Amino acid sequence: MIDLSLPFRETGGIFTTMKLLIIEDEPALRESIQTYLEQQGFVCEAVADFKAGLQKVQQYDYDCVVVDINLPYGSGLDIVKELKAIEAKAGIIIISARASLEDKLTGLELGSDDYLTKPFHLSELSARIQAIIRRRNFGGSKTISFQEIRLEPDAQRVSIDSKPVDLTEKEYRLLEYFIANQRRVLTKAAIATHVWGDEYEQVSNYDFIYTHIKNLRKKLIDAGSEDYIKTVHGVGYRFTDH
Amino acid sequence: MRLLTKTTLYFLLAMIPLLVVGGYFLYKQYSTQINERADKELVYEEVQWIQYLEAATANGSNFLLQSPDLLIHPAQEEPTPYPTITNTNGLKARSNEEIPYRQLAHIVDINGVPYQIVIRKSQEQKLALVSNITYIMLLVFGGLFIATLLFNWMISNRLWRPFRASLQKVRNLELQKMEAVRFEETNTKEFNELNGALNTMVQKIQHDYLNMKEFTENAAHEMQTPLAIAQSKLELLLQDSQLNDTQVGSIAQATEALSRLSKLNQSLLLLAKIENNQFVATETINLTNVTQKYLRLFDEIIKDKQLQVHIQAEEDFTARLHPFLADSLVSNLLGNAIKYNEEGGKINIQVSRSSFCISNTSQQPALDAQHLFQRFQTPNKGTTHSTGLGLAIVKRIVDTSQLKITYQYAESMHRFCISQA
Repeated sequence: MIDLSLPFRETGGIFTTMKLLIIEDEPALRESIQTYLEQQGFVCEAVADFKAGLQKVQQYDYDCVVVDINLPYGSGLDIVKELKAIEAKAGIIIISARASLEDKLTGLELGSDDYLTKPFHLSELSARIQAIIRRRNFGGSKTISFQEIRLEPDAQRVSIDSKPVDLTEKEYRLLEYFIANQRRVLTKAAIATHVWGDEYEQVSNYDFIYTHIKNLRKKLIDAGSEDYIKTVHGVGYRFTDH
Repeated sequence: MRLLTKTTLYFLLAMIPLLVVGGYFLYKQYSTQINERADKELVYEEVQWIQYLEAATANGSNFLLQSPDLLIHPAQEEPTPYPTITNTNGLKARSNEEIPYRQLAHIVDINGVPYQIVIRKSQEQKLALVSNITYIMLLVFGGLFIATLLFNWMISNRLWRPFRASLQKVRNLELQKMEAVRFEETNTKEFNELNGALNTMVQKIQHDYLNMKEFTENAAHEMQTPLAIAQSKLELLLQDSQLNDTQVGSIAQATEALSRLSKLNQSLLLLAKIENNQFVATETINLTNVTQKYLRLFDEIIKDKQLQVHIQAEEDFTARLHPFLADSLVSNLLGNAIKYNEEGGKINIQVSRSSFCISNTSQQPALDAQHLFQRFQTPNKGTTHSTGLGLAIVKRIVDTSQLKITYQYAESMHRFCISQA
């Protein structure tokens, strides 16, 4: 059976794996991203500089390109421009150490779909890549599923065995994030940042997450789902079926 | 005291002995002239009298004449070849006033009889001379005084204009706007030297400042990449199913520490950017709206801590701010009011046209208002995960936006108020 939750693309009834390109010059960071995304089922290619990145995007099709701005031999922004110029269907995420609003706006104006500031959680990157691919995957499936759970992101609807489950907005975002990073250990900080935003760093106490997770877990179980949310003591949570 | 007033004062002080000496010489000069004239008259008068005496006593009669100004009488002494002329004092005719006299005394031989002739002339005008000269000198001094004042005022206005212009520029100097500051060339050598030195200084400061600014920004940026690497490695490591609870706990703690470091770094960068005026106030922002937004954002934690939030906002407090800074300002203050609050505590937000106040209950005693807004002045270091930069950022935003912030501790509530500066 094909697990629909994994990043596969459906083309005329044939499922193909999602292909990503990572252009990042820091070897250690590049490897981390690649490893994490591969664990999530993506096929990842990774290059370290502008020239190699440009060559790759000109020669191959990708579902999503993750590109750093400061690269050897050129700027990642020019790769974004090139992708737009050749009308590539790939989604684009810029990852950069530059956090200023202007940098973000420049990136987004050039046609990037998202902008992540370093340092980021790999789980956040993974979730954003999947959201972009889903948005851009015009012909394909617009739903996410994990075993008996089925999510319709456009409508923010959740059903278990076709039976609707009523979730709050935050609970929905939690569940979506869990499924995007299924079987991975997620820290409370990563969860809080994703669901509640960076602002919560101001209060730097993530205990309130517990209540929401407890509620979500209860609603899912009550609706007939198995208990997939596992607590990783002192760290966070893992959404897993084994 | 003004430099010019000082020089004037010294000038006038120096004038006094000069005027005195001048006055003295003038007096001396006039006095000599008056004496000479008097002497001539005396001698001439004497000659007349001698001629008269010679005629009058030719018959051998004695002659005696006495009036206040004239005394002629036969004398016992030997005749002298020349008359002696002296200054004496005497009573003025028909009054008791003592006035100076020029007096000629001569014993002459008139037809073989020695006669003493004493003629004196009033020199009352000499007294008038002294007072006249004093008067003139005072007049000169006064004229000089007024003239110098007038000139000083004019000179001060004109000559010192470039100096005052430079001074004004130095006063208004802002690190962020140094690039545009230029001390113009004047036609005064001293001011040119000063302005030249100031130009060099400003350029040096600006250069150093830009260096610092660039360094801070670059350092902050460069730090983000290694932080990203370490964080990603830890996140991957966390996925290892071989790890035991202790190891997982350690990784979580390391992740936590890294995210604190990253936050700290971002806060420092933000501070540097605010100081560099990289956020230009583009609009007038209603802080009540921003507060409502953050109350919604922080809703979860407010509920979780069972805090009672009370808003009293009949009027709006508005400020000219960059939207990002307005967010940062409110989120920091509100975030603190939540973070340092106790379970079931209170947050009161009072907004009026002139001030925006957030007060909160806390276990914390009153804070040290002196050091509160300085960097890294965190109460209970170690127990909270504070960067120690939140209030420093708030202060910096307020300072660069013509606002001011005050802190009070009253009725066991910590109260921060923002108002127009």
